[in-house]
Amino acid sequence: MALSALSRALRSVSLTGGGRKQVPSQVLLCSGGVAERSRASQVSLLPSVSNAVSQWRGFLTTASLEQNRKFWKNSEKYTIRPIGVKKTGGRDWTGRIRTHGIGGGHKQRYRMVDFQRLRYESGKEQPFEERIMEVRYDPCRSADIALVAGGNRKRWIIATENMEAGDLIKTSGVIGRMAVAAKEGDAHPLGALPVGTLINNLELLPGKGASAIRAAGTSGVLLRKVSGTAIVQLPSKHQVQVSETCVATVGRVSNIDHNKRIIGKAGRNRWLGIRPSSGLWQRKGGWAGRKIKPLPPMKIYVNQPSASART
Amino acid sequence: MLKTPVYRCSAVATRLKQLCFSSECGSCFLVLRSSRHGNRLISISSSVCGKALPRRKPREVVEINGLEKITYAERKHFVPGLAKPIFPPWERDHQNPFYYKSPKPEEMPLYKDKPCFVFHQRTNLMEGVKQTLWLTKSKLIKGIPAQIMALVDNPASEIENQDDRVQNAIKHARFWDTTENVPPRERFCPTLLNSLLHLCGLQQFKHPALGKRLLCQKYSLAASWHRGEDLIQVRGKNGMLLNSMSPLPAMAEREEVLATADSVLETFYPISPTIDLQNLNVFDAKTDTGFVEGYPYPHAHTLFFTHLKDGHHEQLRAKMVMFAFGNALARARALYGPEPQVLEKPVVIQSVATNGRLFQFLVFQLNTTDLTTDTGVKNLAWMDEDQALYDFAKVRPLIKKKVVQVPAGLAGYHPDTFKKFLAFYLHGAA
Repeated sequence: MALSALSRALRSVSLTGGGRKQVPSQVLLCSGGVAERSRASQVSLLPSVSNAVSQWRGFLTTASLEQNRKFWKNSEKYTIRPIGVKKTGGRDWTGRIRTHGIGGGHKQRYRMVDFQRLRYESGKEQPFEERIMEVRYDPCRSADIALVAGGNRKRWIIATENMEAGDLIKTSGVIGRMAVAAKEGDAHPLGALPVGTLINNLELLPGKGASAIRAAGTSGVLLRKVSGTAIVQLPSKHQVQVSETCVATVGRVSNIDHNKRIIGKAGRNRWLGIRPSSGLWQRKGGWAGRKIKPLPPMKIYVNQPSASART
Repeated sequence: MLKTPVYRCSAVATRLKQLCFSSECGSCFLVLRSSRHGNRLISISSSVCGKALPRRKPREVVEINGLEKITYAERKHFVPGLAKPIFPPWERDHQNPFYYKSPKPEEMPLYKDKPCFVFHQRTNLMEGVKQTLWLTKSKLIKGIPAQIMALVDNPASEIENQDDRVQNAIKHARFWDTTENVPPRERFCPTLLNSLLHLCGLQQFKHPALGKRLLCQKYSLAASWHRGEDLIQVRGKNGMLLNSMSPLPAMAEREEVLATADSVLETFYPISPTIDLQNLNVFDAKTDTGFVEGYPYPHAHTLFFTHLKDGHHEQLRAKMVMFAFGNALARARALYGPEPQVLEKPVVIQSVATNGRLFQFLVFQLNTTDLTTDTGVKNLAWMDEDQALYDFAKVRPLIKKKVVQVPAGLAGYHPDTFKKFLAFYLHGAA
C-alpha cells in the first residue's frame, strides 16, 4: 500500500529545472509513518540556487576549449625526430571518459608523417625524386612508414607494399596527355594515372593532403576519369568523385597481413591500449546484425557547375 | 516545460535520486537520499554534473580604417558602450638579461636573404664521408700515405717497453680509473687518449723538435667557402688540436696533385650534398683559425676527436674530414690570402678519432682553395678506418655454456694501431 501511494505521488512529480522542493517533500510525507521516512522529511532540503547569477565556478575559463586537445602535438616546424605522446585514456577535456575501452598500452612516440606527398621544396616547383632511407614500424598506425630523403630535406611518408631501402620514388603534379606508366610507390595526380590502377593515400581536395586509404593493406581503384574529375572506389566499396588534380600514390599500403594477425591473448590487446569492454549483458538493438543495403550515392568533392551554367 | 537533460542513477537506497541541470540558469537541486542506514546529504555544484556545453564565441570586433574608436582610456574605468582601449606594448627602460627577448631573425643585423649551410659539432651527415668529399672537393685514398708508414715501420721511433706501457694505459682507462665497476665511455675514452698522448709526448728526449708543439682545446674554428651557389661554413669547437711551429710537409707529389683534376666528384642523386647541414639566415661569413695573429704555434698539426657514442663511425669520419678541411682552409687563407687559387705548398693536417677502442686515422692535404667549380685540382684525403687497439676489455668474462669465450681483462691487443698513432705524432718532428 505504501508503495502504491509512493508511485501515485511520484507520477505527479514534474521535472522542472527551477527546483521547487515541495513535491518531493509531499512524496515523503504522504508515504507513511515509517520512522526513517519521517526523519527524512524533517531534514531541510538544500535551497535552490538563485537563477539570477549563473554559476560557472567549476568551469575552466581558458581561451580555447576545443574538443580534441593534443597539447603534446604543438610543433609548427616539421621534424623527423619522434615526439613523446601523452595518452588520454579515452578522457576528454572535462576529465570524463568519452570513449570506453581506451587506456594503458605500450609507450609510443609520434613520428610526424607528411601526408601531402606533393610538397615542393622552396623554389623548386617541378616533379622530383626521393630516395627511401629506411622503412620501419610506426606504433601510431597500422601501416609502416618510410623515411625518404630528397634535395635538402627528409620526411616520413606512408610506405607502400614493396618499398625497400634504397629505392627511388617519383612525385609529380603534372597531368600529361598520355597516362603515366604507374610504378608502385610513385605519386601522380589522378588525371595522369591509367584507369584501373590501385592507389592509396588519396587526396579528396587538391592540395589538402592524403585523407583516404591510409590503413595497412588497403588500396582504392581508379574507376573512370570524367571531364576533369576522377571516380575512385574506396576500400569500403563507396565511390567518390574527386578532382583529377588530386595526388594519390600508386600501389597498396604496406603491412598487408595486418588483418590476418591473431591477437592470441588478452594481454596483447592491453599492450595495444585496448581496455576490456563492459561485461554487462546488454540487449542488442537495431544497430546489430548484418545489414544488406545498397551503396549510398557517390560523394562528390568537386564543385560542379550549377544547372543554369550547364544549360 | 524547460528542456533539461536529466540523469537518472540507479539508487541503492529506496528513494529516487534526481539531478537536474539547466543551461539557462545553471542551477541544480538535489533530492535527499534516505535509506535504512541514515540520511546522506551530498552537495554537488552545478559544474560537476551535467553535460559540458561548448563555450560561446566572443563577439567579433570590427575594425574600420579611418574611424577612430572612442575608448574609455581617459575615464580610467570601464564604461559600457565605449570601446576597449588598446595600449602600446610596455617596454622596459633598462636592460635586464633575464627578461631579454631576442628580435626576430629578419630584424637581426647579420640577417641575409640567401641562407648558408653550417656544419658543426652536432651535425650528423646522412651520406657520411661521400658527402664531405663533395663538400670539400676531395678525393679519398684508402690507407695511410707512405711517409707515415715509413715512420710506423722504423724501429728507431719505438718507445721503450711500448706494448707494456700501452697496455697499462688501456687497463688504467678501462678498469682502474673508477671506484665503480666499470668506467663509462665518457670517462675512459678521454682518459685513454690523454694517456697515449702523454706516452708520445715523453719521447721529447729522443726527438727534441717535439718541444715545438702545443696541445690546445676549446678553440673556435670558423671557415667559409662557396661551393657552386651555396655558402658552406664550418664552425665550432672541435676536439683537441696539436699545434706546431713548423708546417707538415706535403704528402703527395706535384704530379699526383695535378692528376686529381681528372677524378670526378661523386654525387648522390636525388639527395642534395648539403642535406643535414643546418640552414641559417643569420650568419657571419668569416674565416678564422681560432688563434690570434702572432701565435707562436700557428700551424695545425693533428686534430684529436673523442667519440662518446657506440656506433655511427661513418658520421665520425665525416666530422673528421670536415674539421680537418676547415682548419686547413683557415690556415691557407691566413697564409696566402682569400682569393681562390691552387696552392704551391699544400697545407697538410692530420686527424685521429677514437671511441675508446677503435681508431680512425686521416691525413688531409689541401691543394686548392678554388672550390666554386667541380672541376680542377682536388684535395686529397687518406683514410684508415676502424683500427682496433684491442678487441675486448671486459670486467667480467663472457661465458657461454660453461666455456669461456672472452676472458676478463684486456684481450686481443693489436700493437700496430699504437705504432700508427705514434707515427702520426712524430710525423714532422722525427
